[in-house]
Amino acid sequence: MSSPAAPRVTFVDKLAERVGAGSPVGLLLKLLFLGVVNALTLYAILTLLPLRQWTPLVVVITATLALDVIYLSKRALPMKFLIPGTIALLIFQVYPVLYTGFIGFTNYGTGNVLNQSQAVSRIIADGITVPEGATRYGATPLVDIDTDELGLLLVDPDDGQLLLGTGDGLEELAEADITGEGIERVIADRFRPLTLGEAGQREAEVLAFAVPIDDPDLIDEGAQAEAISVQTFSSAAVAIARFDYDADRDVIVDVSDGTEYRPVDGVYTSADGATLRPGFREVIGFANYQEVLTSPAIRGPFLRVFLWTFAFAVLSVVSTFVMGLGLALALNDPRMKLRRTTRSLLIIPYALPSFMTALIWQGLLNTSFGPINRMFNLSVPWLTSQAYAGALPKFSVLLVNLWLGFGYMFLITTGALQAMPEDVKEAARVDGASGWQILRQITMPLLLVAVGPLLIASFAFNFNNFNVVFLLTGGGPPIQGTLTPAGHTDILISYSYRLAFQGGRGQDFGLAAAVSSIIFLLVAVFSWIGFRRTAVLEEVNR
Amino acid sequence: MPSDDSRENTQMKRSTKWAALVSIAALVLAACGADEPGDEPEATPDEVDVEEEDEGEDEAPEEDEGDEGEEEEAAPVRADADLVIWADDTRRPVIEPFAERFGEEQGITVAVQEVAFDQIRDNVSIQGPAGQGPDVFIGAHDWLGELVENGVVAPLDLAGASDDYLEVALQAFAYEGTNYGLPYSIENIALIRNTELAPERPETLEDMWEVGLGLVESGDAELPVGWQQNDPFHNYWVVTGAGGYVFGQEDDGSYNADDLGLDTEGGLRAAELFGEMYDVGFVNPDVDYDVMINSFANGETPFAVTGPWALGDFGGVDFVVEPFPTIDGNAPGPFVGVQGFFVSSFAENELAARTFVLDFMGTDDAQLELYEAGNRPPALISAFEQVQDDPIVAGFGAAGETGAPMPAIPAMGSVWEAWTNAYTNINSGNDPEAAFQEAADQIRNLIG
Repeated sequence: MSSPAAPRVTFVDKLAERVGAGSPVGLLLKLLFLGVVNALTLYAILTLLPLRQWTPLVVVITATLALDVIYLSKRALPMKFLIPGTIALLIFQVYPVLYTGFIGFTNYGTGNVLNQSQAVSRIIADGITVPEGATRYGATPLVDIDTDELGLLLVDPDDGQLLLGTGDGLEELAEADITGEGIERVIADRFRPLTLGEAGQREAEVLAFAVPIDDPDLIDEGAQAEAISVQTFSSAAVAIARFDYDADRDVIVDVSDGTEYRPVDGVYTSADGATLRPGFREVIGFANYQEVLTSPAIRGPFLRVFLWTFAFAVLSVVSTFVMGLGLALALNDPRMKLRRTTRSLLIIPYALPSFMTALIWQGLLNTSFGPINRMFNLSVPWLTSQAYAGALPKFSVLLVNLWLGFGYMFLITTGALQAMPEDVKEAARVDGASGWQILRQITMPLLLVAVGPLLIASFAFNFNNFNVVFLLTGGGPPIQGTLTPAGHTDILISYSYRLAFQGGRGQDFGLAAAVSSIIFLLVAVFSWIGFRRTAVLEEVNR
Repeated sequence: MPSDDSRENTQMKRSTKWAALVSIAALVLAACGADEPGDEPEATPDEVDVEEEDEGEDEAPEEDEGDEGEEEEAAPVRADADLVIWADDTRRPVIEPFAERFGEEQGITVAVQEVAFDQIRDNVSIQGPAGQGPDVFIGAHDWLGELVENGVVAPLDLAGASDDYLEVALQAFAYEGTNYGLPYSIENIALIRNTELAPERPETLEDMWEVGLGLVESGDAELPVGWQQNDPFHNYWVVTGAGGYVFGQEDDGSYNADDLGLDTEGGLRAAELFGEMYDVGFVNPDVDYDVMINSFANGETPFAVTGPWALGDFGGVDFVVEPFPTIDGNAPGPFVGVQGFFVSSFAENELAARTFVLDFMGTDDAQLELYEAGNRPPALISAFEQVQDDPIVAGFGAAGETGAPMPAIPAMGSVWEAWTNAYTNINSGNDPEAAFQEAADQIRNLIG
């Protein structure tokens, strides 16, 4: 029944139908989106390929193919909604978690940042030195006009004697052997000067180029060197290599006395314990965890710090929640005036970056110069008192954190309160319930269902609230009599920051990652227990 | 009445909860994990920067440029050129014309990339091995321990030129007997005196505190001295004046991590002095950098204990720069910082890098222009001699004459926190000697 009025099924419509897009516009948007994704992937492939980054390459290609298949087929409808979130989860959360976990098993940190081959070549290169008192010749790197072989034009600094160095050895030159000027010079009818640009392209070759010396008169006295090589683009000297690498046995040999260095936990070590720098990154198993759990220096303050961390997180959540809820309830009452303005004002502390405000609070609470003490003519050591295990600084930190955090609690409880059906409360009132009873038995249970998970999130956040502690007190004031520095207001994350980055050997990423993993497990357990508890609330509600 | 609908709803809530749990946990770990920079060029050590900046202020506040609070910056990536130089915003404009000339002469392309001073240190270790680092970078000598241990900086053979540099600069740039880099400037703190409030130079520490306390008593000043506190860097001159030291020096100037000098007789004497100075109210533990600047600039304090980086903020106050007063008859020596050019061991163009540094930056022209840009006296003797008549340069020079380079050995990283705590303990009323003793024990534990 084809009538001219019937809609024509165009190719585009068919295509749209095939790939599950509703309309031509939808199809266009989808194709555009996939086009951009694929173009980006192509770009990523072209970038990663020369860098030989195989793992990211495989991940990128697989992800793109998966996206293409899912969005171009009609069947995988649910996946279309799940896949973007899943990819984001993998990239931004699962990958960092796994990577951190992995670093915790390595010795990554100051002294162990290179990979093994980089470390070996560094050791060999650092071992090449110009012996003391060696003659430093003025030098011009040369290149053979026909064969492209390298050469060196040397000038003896003492008598101005010109020498030509080639791969075969040294020969004396006369002034007349050089014709032309500057870059145009031709030396001994064979060579022209190498430009620095050319030298850059052939750098390894230039640096390795050595002129063997067979004439003993030309060798510096006492030096065992057998060759002259370039030091900068304009100087050359004899140089001695101290180390040799035996790749088959993976040992570095000290040429001067035959000592052998073998890799032990990422550091080349000799039989008598001498080590070579730099070390390299290597998996060292549970050593970092062992250090955290057994080192007396770390374990000493650990329990105190842990208890305070827990107290800090719980008290922060409770105080901000109580204050936020109180304000939200008050401002939810229609009898209050200027509700909107007040609400906006209350959010300000939360809206400002905690970074700046924490520093401002540090200034406000300064004992001698802080406006708070000055205004009331006090000299309260808000942030520095060591009395009663630093009770006062602990209180100050909680106070500032309350100021920073109540706005958030106010925001979410206001939202939850406004979403709450009025009729339930109405019914309670009709039944003769008092305001307190309504709050306790109706509002709170309903509210906690909504904000319970957020309270747990807030706990997890405060458990690791590095910014506030570090910017306000730096963890201080110091606890006296500990084996390693620790402060009364230190929480786990600031304490381990000190351990890992201000400890014995500079930065210790491996240890930091191990501690992070432990904190992760702790927070995961607490959060899990918390979620179980809110589940109970929900049962009640049901 | 539970309907099918609501049961489904609850089930859904449960699974959402699991998702929420996982993501919270992951977030937490991601936040902790952000402390460790990944090996890929895109990874940023963002979280660390904030604290390190703060730390930098505590430890070695020579970097006024670095304190402007640029955090969450992406890691710098090597520019596309044959020779790449990393320098901060103060030095880049100075280096650029030299680099251009070098490039033209040698027929290569040269890029001078602007990287914040405090970003250079970490990123050389991260970006260098990843092939995204510079050939040449500027830096401070106290980074050397870390950079050398990491294997990211190449030795530089100064050869005959070594006699051309100030002794203290060469000492600072030698790590275990090998020279790394070419020094271009030296700096140290000194006593800055307001000539109106205190017309006479205090000869001894006791003179200084009498003058300061006297002025406060008479109402002419509000603060006896602008001296930022709980800060081992700014307090070190008292330690050396009292006969203490942080690490012992070998004959060749290198530091020995096994010889900690905080709890020696001199170190403990310094602790006692600080106990007295806090007690009599001469030194106020609440003074920080801002208070110091404000009080001195407003003429509210006769003295400031600080370095060349602060002078720009002192406004119209008439002041002189001079050596610290003697302690028990000894001339104190502050830490000396030296800055210079380093060649990366992952330089793509090592020859060009070495040639540029030695032939272009080791010249009077370059060193004098860097001096004018950053106010720090040159390390090249011939250049230094041209500016040493300037009273400020001469003042800082005289104050630093008795100083030694701040130790660059990694063990120095274990010192700051414990030592800062020692000062806090003293000014909180605890026994000064016990505080220093405890700090020394803690540092030994940390060094291990």
